[in-house]
Amino acid sequence: METLFNSELKIINIGLEGFAETLKERGTSVMHVRWQPPAMGNDDLLSLLDKLK
Amino acid sequence: MFIKSHILKNTFRDSVYLMRLSGTVREFEGVIEAETIVGTDHNKKFLRSGGLWTDEIETEAGANDLIIAVKAEDEEKAEQAIQSALDEMNKQVERENLLGDFVPRTFETALQNLSGANLALLSIPGRYVRREADQVLDAGLHLMIFSDNVSLEDEVALKQKALEKDLLVMGPDCGTAIINGIPLAFANEVKQGKIGVVAAAGTGLQEVSSLISNLGEGISQGIGTGGRDVKAAVGGITMLQGLEALLKDSNTEVVVIVSKPPDSEVTEKVLAAAAESKKPVVVNFLGGDLEQVRKAGCEPAGTLKEAAQKAVNLSRKKDAGSGDSVLKADEKLAGGEKKKYKENQKYLRALYSGGTLAYETLILLQGTISDIYTNLSYEGAEKIDDVYKSRANTVIDFGEDEFTQGRLHPMIDPSLRNSRIIEESKDPETAVIMLDLVLGHNAHPDPAGSALEAIREAKEIAQKDGRHLSFVTTVCGTDEDIQNRGEQVAKLEKEGVLVFPSNADAAVFAAELLSN
Repeated sequence: METLFNSELKIINIGLEGFAETLKERGTSVMHVRWQPPAMGNDDLLSLLDKLK
Repeated sequence: MFIKSHILKNTFRDSVYLMRLSGTVREFEGVIEAETIVGTDHNKKFLRSGGLWTDEIETEAGANDLIIAVKAEDEEKAEQAIQSALDEMNKQVERENLLGDFVPRTFETALQNLSGANLALLSIPGRYVRREADQVLDAGLHLMIFSDNVSLEDEVALKQKALEKDLLVMGPDCGTAIINGIPLAFANEVKQGKIGVVAAAGTGLQEVSSLISNLGEGISQGIGTGGRDVKAAVGGITMLQGLEALLKDSNTEVVVIVSKPPDSEVTEKVLAAAAESKKPVVVNFLGGDLEQVRKAGCEPAGTLKEAAQKAVNLSRKKDAGSGDSVLKADEKLAGGEKKKYKENQKYLRALYSGGTLAYETLILLQGTISDIYTNLSYEGAEKIDDVYKSRANTVIDFGEDEFTQGRLHPMIDPSLRNSRIIEESKDPETAVIMLDLVLGHNAHPDPAGSALEAIREAKEIAQKDGRHLSFVTTVCGTDEDIQNRGEQVAKLEKEGVLVFPSNADAAVFAAELLSN
């Protein structure tokens, strides 16, 4: 935790774009992930994919 | 009447964006109803039941597509509204350039492209959180989970994993944090300084950090834990980690803990950890046992304002101070208002967007006024049967699930609360309407302006009936917030709205207005 407090914050934002935009506007180092539900939101397919990993 | 749809193949936008866009299209001239929504089966059922249905949606729209559906007075208006949505989306594409040319679709790719990444902020539907969060922790990043609807089992598993790796998991349902001076999600722009806060209460952290900043001191770190962290089932994992980190942190001289009363075993652990430190620790367990805190060698605070004031005093190497004198209502001001009420005007209607602030108000009202109803779980008040209809003295949190299903949080879109302000003004028994205006990143750009539109209408309704209404408000935030607290306050005061420096002050004044 001390390393977190003593380092420059570099953020990966997954989900709402607004959060990344406000951080970017403030000059914070941020990379936005345009996340979409995996397996097109199909739960059966998703659990199958997870088993394959 | 004409219903028209437009399908954008292989297009995805996040839920907040789409709810905002739907709102913009609904305001377009001649539009009766509109939705911009992802074409999942669930959403298609929703459109069908709402009468926004076309053959095109039935045959063309799939889970990877975006649907714009509009019901308008005629075909031309429907087409214009759809075009307005498309124009708005093009504007967003320009805005996306702000995020850079490269926007990855997975955490893994982002990690490869952001060297030294040390924190991930997750705001995706709750049922997908575990999957992504596991990846984040396995990669050695700290995590803030904004999402709600994450199962207790997942929360415990993630926090235990994080603990083993000495990583922090803030949340789930963590709306606010300030790390290394950077405000995350809904946090406010506050001064940096030597006071560290760990909070299991979102607007509690916003109120305390803003008040500290407004008093001239600053925040070293503001760690959010999510409300469920302090339940026995989670065991206060994040609160204990956060507290320990702040006690060790060389830039933190005073620590503040804010939470609804934790489960007893968590309280004991937290107080025991705080007691071991030489740093002063101010504790506000909202409505909790102050004596227990004092016995543990910590500084108890009965309100968020008192917690902020005591932390500021301690950081200036002064005594914590009693803090009691700060909570005295201006009787002269109250007397002037009370004289204007008609005989049967006797009730308070407190309409909140911040859950912790609403909870604090319930605590402060208890004992001064009776017959209090609320949609929150609070022992000192009755649970209201119908959240859409006030009864006697009512305190409503519009951020609760019943108001936010499929809608934006009232801090972003206050329209539901604004309608309620007008409703309350029609009730001849309403004397006081109380509101919190919460500023900060990602919140409404002008909450005072938005509330004033409803307040003006409410005043007019009351005046026609010869009644005077008192509007008692608090503005949570700082002058450095994009909304600028000073400007927001001036706007409200110009139109006769009573604005108090803290929620506690507003609540005590409201209670005074209704006391005999």
